[in-house]
Amino acid sequence: MTEIIEILIQILFILFIISFPITLLETDSKSKISTFSFIDKLSINLIFLINILFFASILNINSKYILYLYVILIIFLYFFNFRKFNFINIKLDYYFLVLLFFIILISIDIAHELYFAWDTQSFWFFKTLNFYQNQKFENLKNLPDFDWPHLGTYIWSFFWKFPFSGYEYLGRITYAFIYVLSIFSITEILKVSTYQKIIFAILFISLTYNYELFSGLQDIMVFSLILIASKFVFYFFEKQHKFKLLELTFILLAITNILCWIKNEGLFFIYFLIFCIFITKNLNLKIKTLLIIGSLTIFFIKILVVNYYEINFNPEYFELRETLNLEIFNLFEKIKIVSFYLLLYLTQVPIYLLTLPILIYTSFKYKMKDITKFNLFFLILNLSFIYIAFLFKMSDTELQIRYSMKRVLFQTSGFYFLAIVIFINNYLHSFNQKIFSSSKKKNINLDG
Amino acid sequence: MAKKNKKNIGILIIGFLILSFIYNHNLFRKLYNVFVINHESRLTKKYGYCFRESVGFLRMLKKKYKFNFNPLIINYEDAVPSSGWSIYDNNYRTDNNHKILLNYPKNLSLYFKPLNKIFYARSTVNHSNGISNIIFDLKDKHIRIDSKIKIYRKIFNKKEIVLEENFHKLVENNQIIPFEFNTKKINSINKPTFIEIPDLSEDQIGKINSIILNLNHEFNLKDFTIIEKFNNCYYVK
Repeated sequence: MTEIIEILIQILFILFIISFPITLLETDSKSKISTFSFIDKLSINLIFLINILFFASILNINSKYILYLYVILIIFLYFFNFRKFNFINIKLDYYFLVLLFFIILISIDIAHELYFAWDTQSFWFFKTLNFYQNQKFENLKNLPDFDWPHLGTYIWSFFWKFPFSGYEYLGRITYAFIYVLSIFSITEILKVSTYQKIIFAILFISLTYNYELFSGLQDIMVFSLILIASKFVFYFFEKQHKFKLLELTFILLAITNILCWIKNEGLFFIYFLIFCIFITKNLNLKIKTLLIIGSLTIFFIKILVVNYYEINFNPEYFELRETLNLEIFNLFEKIKIVSFYLLLYLTQVPIYLLTLPILIYTSFKYKMKDITKFNLFFLILNLSFIYIAFLFKMSDTELQIRYSMKRVLFQTSGFYFLAIVIFINNYLHSFNQKIFSSSKKKNINLDG
Repeated sequence: MAKKNKKNIGILIIGFLILSFIYNHNLFRKLYNVFVINHESRLTKKYGYCFRESVGFLRMLKKKYKFNFNPLIINYEDAVPSSGWSIYDNNYRTDNNHKILLNYPKNLSLYFKPLNKIFYARSTVNHSNGISNIIFDLKDKHIRIDSKIKIYRKIFNKKEIVLEENFHKLVENNQIIPFEFNTKKINSINKPTFIEIPDLSEDQIGKINSIILNLNHEFNLKDFTIIEKFNNCYYVK
């Protein structure tokens, strides 16, 4: 019984922490922040918090002080805007309640299953333990795979430590929170009724959820953050959000910084996303400059931290001698293997089975919109990355593919939900009309 | 009215989807288990007390002996990752004098089955000190071997020779033949091991059912004081 209560309190604690400070800044109904939905605000707060946690981790600031500072900031902002702020403005609708319900359901599954994946037992959990046991960043050197990014495990340790410091899985509930939030965030942009949005969200969860994702691996964080990024990128292409491009750019850059420190491939995916916006959306010079400078700064911070802490990348991962040994026969053989497994694993990640045909259908059937082009360019870059990563990595390509390709494919799969959004928001109406008109014609012919 | 009907249908579908999610993931049962089975028991059930990762045994030791060091953990079960994470404490140093041996086998051996002209071991070992003896399981009573014996491991088509030695003997079925050779090269869970007897004819190879290579323990229980024991899990010093 106490465990269930702890799970519920943990969820409320995460909700409390990520409900601020953006909500408290929203004192003016004309402010740009107020135009974001409640789920958007939660996502923005989450991104803000994770960035703070990132700086705390590399600057070796005790997470206890981060929590205190965060609470002080919330209290300060609350009293600063005391007169203007009204809690009644926060609406808890069915949509949000179903979101919370799914977090509880997944949390129960995590609490019951408990087990860690192989990689979690081998190195991810050691990183989590490092931060949980108040060790410094440099102590990671004494643990396996120092060169693997640490931020996901820092988040795990932070929410394991607070508020209870009890069961390890309480920290992993944060992953479930971010996962469900990201799915409800993307389905929110569908132009359908709230009930239909909820139905889409549940179907999306049913398609993607399995416990393995929450067994301490970081792929779920990449998946969720790319999904959240996709939502904000979608706003770039919407007229009604045109006036807050600057805010959206900052949010996107903040997500970029997080992804850089969650998993190495996350860095590529988010830079692909930014690159695709560049080539498909006509942005003004200010936004373009900000995106370029921001992306370079994030990359520079990464290099700075890597050099400062002397993080040496394991040369075995890259096997440079084999990488540069570009024998044509080997290359063709590898392309054949990668292509075979790519097709195989695409069928094993159900979202691709659903979204790719829709993306291809809308691209060929209708006049291509910027957002569709954006989606297609990302698909091309994503597939190219998979080919390049597996062709030039290890001499035994097949072994590597079997071990990790499905996971790499899963990480970006959520992004393609945008294809469904584009179809429903723009073409479903005309698609229905076509179907109805053709069935009417058939009926007339039959009657005739 | 139509709008209300639509809303009711929407709620019904949502209810159905939520229930099917709960049913598919067996969440009522899991909720019940979280209620009635405590965390420690659930953890032990998942990882085993003295099998597979043997997390139950490790956590019992940590609780009982209140370690202020990280003992060396050796798990002989090679199909699972190291379970050191379950009791690791960053605040303490590692003390290799204190060892926890999990799933400790009485005999450490590799079984080789014929594969074309060579012999291939499906299993691997990780904590051996070298080879002790060799046994041939034959279809006939005996076989004459006048050849070199090559033992090697293979990864990414690269051969790593463990041992290459002349072998001239009339071998009887299941005879224990001393074959002492100290090496740690045979230890690896990632690289499969092969035996090649190049001068053996196909006919002779066909007469060999399997080859057993008995190995010496790197950590011999006789060399340590046993502090705690449960089945084949040991805490020794």
